Amino acid sequence: MGRRENHEYEVFIRNFTKNEQNLRRFLRSLLPSWEDVDEVLQETAVVLWRKIEHYDPSTEFIKWACVVARFEALAYRRKMARDRLVFREDLFELIAEDAQDELEGASLERSNLQKCLSELPADQKRFVLLAYTPGVKVKELANQEGSSPGAFYMRLKRIRHQLLNCVERKLQNQ
Amino acid sequence: MNKISDLDPQLQNWIEGYLNQTISKSDFESLQKAMLGDPELRHLIRRYLNLDCHLVAEGGLKISDLSFVPWSQSRSDDSQRGWVRKLALSQIGVAAAIAFLLGALAMYWQDFAWKDFANEEKRDAEEGNWDASGQEQFAEGFAVIKNLIDVTWAQEGKDFQIGEILGAETLYLAQGKISMQFFSGAILTLEGPAKLSLNSSWKAYCEKGSLRLKVPPAARGFKLQTPATEIEDLGTEFGFAIQDGKEKLEVFDGEVLIRPDGRDTVLVQKGNAIELSQGGLPVAITTGEVRVPTVEGDDQLLQKQIQSDFEKWKSYRNGLFQDQRLVAFYDFVSDPETGLVPNLCLPRNADFDGAIVMGESVSGRWPDLSTAIEFKRPSSRVRVNLTTTFSAFTFMSWVRVDSLDRQYNGLLMADGYETGEPHWQIREDGRMMLSVMVDESKENPYRKNARGFHRVYFSPPIWDLSMSGQWLHLASTFDPEERRVVHFLNGKVVSVSEIEDDYVVRDLRIGNAEIGNWGHPFREDPVFAIRNLNGRMDELAIFNAALGSQEIEELFTKSRLRKR
Repeated sequence: MGRRENHEYEVFIRNFTKNEQNLRRFLRSLLPSWEDVDEVLQETAVVLWRKIEHYDPSTEFIKWACVVARFEALAYRRKMARDRLVFREDLFELIAEDAQDELEGASLERSNLQKCLSELPADQKRFVLLAYTPGVKVKELANQEGSSPGAFYMRLKRIRHQLLNCVERKLQNQ
Repeated sequence: MNKISDLDPQLQNWIEGYLNQTISKSDFESLQKAMLGDPELRHLIRRYLNLDCHLVAEGGLKISDLSFVPWSQSRSDDSQRGWVRKLALSQIGVAAAIAFLLGALAMYWQDFAWKDFANEEKRDAEEGNWDASGQEQFAEGFAVIKNLIDVTWAQEGKDFQIGEILGAETLYLAQGKISMQFFSGAILTLEGPAKLSLNSSWKAYCEKGSLRLKVPPAARGFKLQTPATEIEDLGTEFGFAIQDGKEKLEVFDGEVLIRPDGRDTVLVQKGNAIELSQGGLPVAITTGEVRVPTVEGDDQLLQKQIQSDFEKWKSYRNGLFQDQRLVAFYDFVSDPETGLVPNLCLPRNADFDGAIVMGESVSGRWPDLSTAIEFKRPSSRVRVNLTTTFSAFTFMSWVRVDSLDRQYNGLLMADGYETGEPHWQIREDGRMMLSVMVDESKENPYRKNARGFHRVYFSPPIWDLSMSGQWLHLASTFDPEERRVVHFLNGKVVSVSEIEDDYVVRDLRIGNAEIGNWGHPFREDPVFAIRNLNGRMDELAIFNAALGSQEIEELFTKSRLRKR
């Protein structure tokens, strides 16, 4: 790696790492599952690295990265099977516009959520973390136990609602 | 609609379905259509997706969290615990860790007391088919409404009743007074205009309005958050109001801790009043300056209002007794001489009076004024013999379900369930059921090698545990002319089913029948046979006609405790 490349590599790594969470959040608004988000994020990283020399450091990295991510997501979306729950293209564009205007605030949102999580009753907190434990598949768990995914989702719905209410309230006070 | 609490329940279900990837194609289409024209909805969905992001980033349960899992506690010998610890410490592969976690979580999950829907489904094939969509069987909420006085809500579509359970929600009170008791024991009386959010049984947030909070020793530590501070109640009674943009607090009894802006705590004792500003220090003010809701006389006032509503309903009801279509009307007040519950329908027909068997006379939906019959014991029932022919049915009743203990919980059940006879009941998952025997000699479509050709018409679930003890107005109509079965809850249609060609039956009858139970089951299996309703019934009307939705709504409105 030459000197120039070395510098670019640093710029890329620093910016990408700093903004990875924001990019994931942006892609999540467009794509139906986390597998899709991971897939597109990888592609996006490759493209960003390839084009890093075109990046103008006087602009915000995240804005530039989102333009690329949006394009990659759209290309991915077109390849996706028809039976997948994927937003139609006109709506996809609208969401991307909205989401690009709202890139700020992720870290405040995160810390508010953490506060709200800690305010939940212990059993509800454990339940929601269980639902978000990597590798947990609700259906498999349900089949294994002969129980109902419906009951699981119902409870999850209530807790998510509670958390969103709480985050909203915290935000209003800030 | 830019608040989570204002989100339409159907939209919320769709969003949840999208997050869980369980939404149907057609609902997803509808969701997309709604999103296209509604930027606020798109904003709300992004908030859901952002939440999803942050929760994923939290990383879920860790192996170390297993110490909380009941399973690991139940096998509490040291060798097991040591094994868990060793496993956590050793550098095992991620896949193996997940597999282990899954096994443990599966056991943990069982602990959530969900019903075994697979078995239930099998049993339900006995009386009808349904989808095992799964309803949770626990009530979640923070407080129960004790009193409502001249209340107007600033939220559209809000219509709370006394006895209703409040969960995590924000109340916008335009005017009037609401008293609620938190499950911690704290009693909060709020006067409008006000805005209050319930966070838990131990915490509420008041942004606007005035309130009085009474905290019994058991609820010490209840916290009231306000824009400027947090007030922790140490077992006391205090008043709080936001007046002219200033927060004022007066302690009537005991003491409270406040944390202006989350900093040092200040103790405020009985007989003191203070004013708080955002970030500033509390300033003492004269007592009595804080305008807070009074509660003295509220109970008497409520009782007076209830009395007047009850009188109004009784005079309206007298007109209903003369309705030609009415066959029987019971208010379950037994005649002191005969001991029977008279049929109040006019002209008087004593043959249709009912006999109470093991049922207990208790307070009805007009507390201490009206009478209800309680069917708590498996042998409780009211027996009737309605020897008339019907061309259609309407059954209507005020019912308080305490819990759905039986697989089928009887409301009105014809004894033999012979051709033309009805069964009106509630299934254990909260669905109303109305069925009429079409042809008792033909094969039962739900059970092999059994007689009895009929169909059960279900409503969606209208009851869950959170509604235990609430009075509900239930009605169902069976209309062979229009080929329609309609179920109503609190005056509103909850389901409409078509009666198909093969299932049309025109000559309807009831004959010997039971209210609140079923006396003549055709199978001996007790799970099947015991059908007493664990709850109360206050008034039951039986019509020889299918009443329309407007009529039913009117009867509901006239007969309910007035909205306050």
